[in-house]
Amino acid sequence: MTAFLIRRLGFAVITLFAVLTLVFVLVRIVPGDPAQVILGDQASREAIEALRERLGLNLPLYQQYVVFVWGALGGDWGTSMMTGRPVIQEVLNVLPWTLELTFLSLLIGVVIGVPLGVAAAVRRNRFTDYAARIGSLLGLSFPPFVSALLLLLAFSIGLHWFPVISAKSGSLSAWVESITLPAINLGLITAAYITRVTRSAMLEVLQEDYVRTARAKGVPWSVVVWRHALRNALIPVITIIGLYLGILIGNSVLTEIVFSRPGLGKLIVGALNQRDYTMLQGMMVIYTLVVVLVNLATDIAYGIADPRVKFK
Amino acid sequence: MKKHLILGLAVAAGLATGFGLDPAHAQKKSLVIGMGSADAGKLDPHLASTTPDKGLLNYIFNGLVRVKPGQASPDFIEPDLAESWTTNANGTEWTFKIRSGVQCHHGYGPFSAEDAAYSIKRASNKATSSYSGDFAALEKVEAVDASTLKITLKNPVAGFLGYVANINGGNMVCKKAAEEMGENFGKKPIGTGPFQFAEYQPQQFVKLTANKQYFRGAPVLEDITYRYIPADSSRDLAFQSGELDMIYGKQDQTWVDRTSKLPGVKVKAMEPGELSALYLNITSKPLDDIRVRQAIAHAIDRKAIVQFKGAGSSREAVSVVPSGYLGTDEKSPLYAYDVNKAKALLAEAGYPNGVTVKTIHTTLTGMQTFIEAVQAQLKKANINLEIELVEHATFHAQIRKGLSPIVHYQAARFPVADVYLTQFYDSASNIGTPTAITNFTFCNVADTEIRAARVEMDAAKQKALWKTAQEKLVTNVCGIPVYEQLQLWAWKDNLDLGYELNGSLNLSPPVTEKTKFTK
Repeated sequence: MTAFLIRRLGFAVITLFAVLTLVFVLVRIVPGDPAQVILGDQASREAIEALRERLGLNLPLYQQYVVFVWGALGGDWGTSMMTGRPVIQEVLNVLPWTLELTFLSLLIGVVIGVPLGVAAAVRRNRFTDYAARIGSLLGLSFPPFVSALLLLLAFSIGLHWFPVISAKSGSLSAWVESITLPAINLGLITAAYITRVTRSAMLEVLQEDYVRTARAKGVPWSVVVWRHALRNALIPVITIIGLYLGILIGNSVLTEIVFSRPGLGKLIVGALNQRDYTMLQGMMVIYTLVVVLVNLATDIAYGIADPRVKFK
Repeated sequence: MKKHLILGLAVAAGLATGFGLDPAHAQKKSLVIGMGSADAGKLDPHLASTTPDKGLLNYIFNGLVRVKPGQASPDFIEPDLAESWTTNANGTEWTFKIRSGVQCHHGYGPFSAEDAAYSIKRASNKATSSYSGDFAALEKVEAVDASTLKITLKNPVAGFLGYVANINGGNMVCKKAAEEMGENFGKKPIGTGPFQFAEYQPQQFVKLTANKQYFRGAPVLEDITYRYIPADSSRDLAFQSGELDMIYGKQDQTWVDRTSKLPGVKVKAMEPGELSALYLNITSKPLDDIRVRQAIAHAIDRKAIVQFKGAGSSREAVSVVPSGYLGTDEKSPLYAYDVNKAKALLAEAGYPNGVTVKTIHTTLTGMQTFIEAVQAQLKKANINLEIELVEHATFHAQIRKGLSPIVHYQAARFPVADVYLTQFYDSASNIGTPTAITNFTFCNVADTEIRAARVEMDAAKQKALWKTAQEKLVTNVCGIPVYEQLQLWAWKDNLDLGYELNGSLNLSPPVTEKTKFTK
């Protein structure tokens, strides 16, 4: 297990380094000049050149790269070219908002998706199954910003239950008010994925010999389903949860925008639009780190769900 | 079970508070503004270049002079931090009498001529200002004594007072604060205006509190929350639900029509109009042939574009300078819409079967719908406009590299003809040169007039020079002005701005010491 972890972390470092280099090159290949964006469209070329010099953008690419990697190794991710604030601080400012939304919606997804998937598999081709399948298809096909607007129209404008600007904090009630709609919005979509995967995994497992044996020797049906079958169907479900966690963190941007919440998604889109090189580089490292960590956690979860899995 | 009950109660309590009124709202001393951007940029008045940042900074800073709140024309310039001013006969020496008893925010002491001199030096310095170019003619600025500021210019500058008004480089910062904070000034901007910086929450809002010592009197409002809400629809919904009192509108007519129907709401299309014009690179084929350029000009129907954009929020362009500027030729000889003439001109130029021209264009929605409408109009005259769509920052980079023979640009500038003419049509501003700004046309036909007008002290002669310059640029089809987009805002009708709103130079309505809620 330890050797496995060390090897995986080693891969993670290589991945990080590759991503860093790729991002460093890519953001500079894309046309667009951060100095121009900072100074605005009335700035003279002289002023722009002066700023490029101050930002170190006039150095040859390899020198910029060395400066960047050297800083990164020392834990210095630089300051945002646009706001002048440290990249780390900018990220940490909004990271809690993204994490709470991601984990809550994942929780909603699991709490709804797993039982629904199991129920659909057990009552295959009956009403519950059809309802679950149609429901999850709807969830999958709905763009998150449309469902977000519908939720706002119904619960904020129609019923006045929640604020439109879902970014209050300070007290528990304010937090609940702010997180409910965004979490439901992303949670329902996540539930749709999880329902479908759980259903198909369960269908397969329910046809196994040991399920028939268990039933034959008189084990109660609920025990067969929840303890014997579900346990064995969990691997694909864990995979999809792991994958989806990465997707959620990246894809929450539309939800963040519609619900006017701070978040990593908005930060990265803003940095991209403004060609904020330092910010993009810093954020990419964080995304990569999150994806690597989630993958690692998924691998470990396999072992817990299924003791036959060996860490090699 | 008990645990569940407690949790349930907590959630219920949370929901219940949602029904209640915000206490701050009940007193109506807090103004909440919804702005259409994702986050604050640089909150340093000498660096800020975006509408959202400039709008906010306007509540914090004063100029030596100001344009009367609610107006967008230099005709309305009135004293601000300077009580009065005098100038010598040729306009190269300006002496300002600085108001006494003005206090800088957050206890940074009284504002004096020393601060004013420091501020202008800062605004004219390339390293600390985006507007250093505006002060190119500055020779010397000095505080003669605590209340007297003297500015010496190398040559007269048209509309000089505009550069020391409460916008861009004219915003007066407090010396002690700016020196103390250096590059961090934008994190806690210190000025003298009716509201002072209090708090910044990333991607959420900036909060300002009333400056009780404001020299025109303590503001009626206690605070302003300036919220960053990039999605137009979310801003509209939050306005509708009462969470916002004033919003930056989606810049199109359907928004005006929809929002005007809401109860208790005022909608305003205000000055200045941002001029949408096509800039033709006269050195590129086939645009080097004036007949092709004339054909394009004849093929564009300005009236139809205004109908398409909405008559309540846009109007036809009058010249290569936006209407209402000091020196605009309101009746410049623009080409009339005439498809047959356009076709004839093309045939004469050797393109009887039509011609293809290219533009690199931004994906900004409002601008994109315009160029697509133009494309459809040109098609009728057998002019095939190829549009290459790129994202906005790419657009700005590529047009400055001369990659787009036709450039569509939409802009408002300080309302003196010289600014627009200099930036877009003086050959010194040609892209690719060290002094480049935004001359994409490579035209130099009006250089003589533009440069002469800049230093002409006789107002009538200056106006005549600007008129000639505009005539030359229009007839040579360096630029094709099409329409002007007004600035769209909405606010609750219980909000009394404290002045009549016709326009605002920084494109956002001012909030002054007199702004208040009536109920």
